Amino acid sequence: MTHVDSHPQRLKVGRSGPWSAALPMLPAVFMVAPLVIVALLFIVYPLVKLGIDSFTGGSGGFSNYSAVFQSAAIRNSLVSTLLMSAVVTVLCLLLGGSLAWSLSKPGNKILKTLLWTAVLLPFWMGVVVKTYAWAVLLANNGLINSFFMRIGLIDEPMTLLYTPMAVVLGMTYTMLPYAVLAMYPTMAGFDKELLNSASVLGSSNTGAMYRVWLPLVRPGLVAGGAIVFAISIGFYITPVLLGGAQTPFMATVIGDDIFAYFNYPRAAASSVILLVIALTVLIATLKTVGVKALKGGLEK
Amino acid sequence: MSRTIHGRRNRTIDRASKILGRVLVTCAVIFLLAPALFIALLSFSNDRRVSFPPQSWGLDRYIAVFTSGKWGAPTLMSLEIGAWVAFGSLLVALPLVFALKRSVMPGRGLLEATAIAPLVIPISAYAVGLYAVFAQLDLLGEKFGIILAHTVHALPMVVIVLSTSLDQIRPDLELSAMTMGANRLKAWTSITLRLLVPAIAAAMLFGFISSFDEAVFITFLGGVGLVTLPKYIFDSVQYGVDPAITAMATILMITTAGIMLLGSALRKDIK
Repeated sequence: MTHVDSHPQRLKVGRSGPWSAALPMLPAVFMVAPLVIVALLFIVYPLVKLGIDSFTGGSGGFSNYSAVFQSAAIRNSLVSTLLMSAVVTVLCLLLGGSLAWSLSKPGNKILKTLLWTAVLLPFWMGVVVKTYAWAVLLANNGLINSFFMRIGLIDEPMTLLYTPMAVVLGMTYTMLPYAVLAMYPTMAGFDKELLNSASVLGSSNTGAMYRVWLPLVRPGLVAGGAIVFAISIGFYITPVLLGGAQTPFMATVIGDDIFAYFNYPRAAASSVILLVIALTVLIATLKTVGVKALKGGLEK
Repeated sequence: MSRTIHGRRNRTIDRASKILGRVLVTCAVIFLLAPALFIALLSFSNDRRVSFPPQSWGLDRYIAVFTSGKWGAPTLMSLEIGAWVAFGSLLVALPLVFALKRSVMPGRGLLEATAIAPLVIPISAYAVGLYAVFAQLDLLGEKFGIILAHTVHALPMVVIVLSTSLDQIRPDLELSAMTMGANRLKAWTSITLRLLVPAIAAAMLFGFISSFDEAVFITFLGGVGLVTLPKYIFDSVQYGVDPAITAMATILMITTAGIMLLGSALRKDIK
């Protein structure tokens, strides 16, 4: 493509004037038309409509937003959604960063295949299947409780399911592969010789990682974290199934507003709040690490 | 003297951080593998309730999946919608990536970003927006509506697969064909598209899987009448536990893994 752009090869063909290797405008416009129509109707319009309806629905004005912020339940949900998503992001950076780094280093082939399989495994399960697996794992008679009761650490099963921890685990499970794939290109692109140079110059390995590696992979970490966070705050299936009614999460609030209270305008306001938060995080990331790191984090 | 102490302390720190790294990776691998293995293990239990450890082993759950008659309709619904989505997303994405990679029209970056955007829009908020639009267009509870929603949902992956693959096919081949008298369409169909066939197949597989596994849009937009496989499982898990789900989950896991591996292999097949 760069080839086409940088050397527009011009040949004289008959009377039709200068010929360019690039596809002419008119057919190009026709070819992008399906996307433009689909995107305008089903990406742009729904988001714009949410914004409009959140201000005109119900009593109009800011009433829907004040309804959101006046409800203690929704306020709690918003705070705990952001907190849980932040925890998920930290866990994904920590575990995903270690995984991506191990995968980027040369090493044992069998071990690497095992690592890749582990990383890709959650992709092979639909979100419902993943969540169901965690529900069974965390249940009172699930693997974790049976294990701890067997070794005599506890007598009564612990309540693991329908807690914020269950939601965090389930969400981390879904997001970890995204985080690994988002960070892997940065890790693989890091020149491992730099660590040797640092140690020749007298740095400890840990010091080299901290002072050489971290600054160089930081854009990848920031982009990966931002993507994980933006996707996490919108989770629906996992919080509903693993959190139950007692774990406050925005998805549950929005779902209840639509299906139980038929309060679409308030759901629209809650949705706009989520969208604005995600957009702010992504734009801030774009400003700090640039479009390349963010795009690299998405194109696996 | 102080240098050696310093060196020794560094070595201790190095060893500690190396161990910390290993522990993190091990934890991550166990964390990633455990749920899938656990579900697969439990699917071979013959107990009446899902519990661990199983008291008896057997294939009862698999027999239940195939004989209960409850799973057929949702499976067919998912397969049908998934097939339409695979075609629909290709229909939008294929001309798009050709225009993006072979023309110099302005706004290409913006168009590509738009196609990938659904990946990072918080899905529960997006589903509410689509719910409102579908209510307006009378598409709630309509199969066609779900196909549209799933197509948009599948677009990012399909566009990414096609565009990264088209990047690997050198435009020089088309240009040579065109200098030898082929028109652009002929050069594309007889050279580039032919080289792109594996990637197109991969993109369709990924588009299919994205719809086949999708559970949020179907919940918001499907009404009560449209029940896909993920919706059926979601409802069963929410309102009671059918132990046959463990068997269905295992079957789905193996099928999805097979399709995704095939897709990845096809994607790498481009030279």
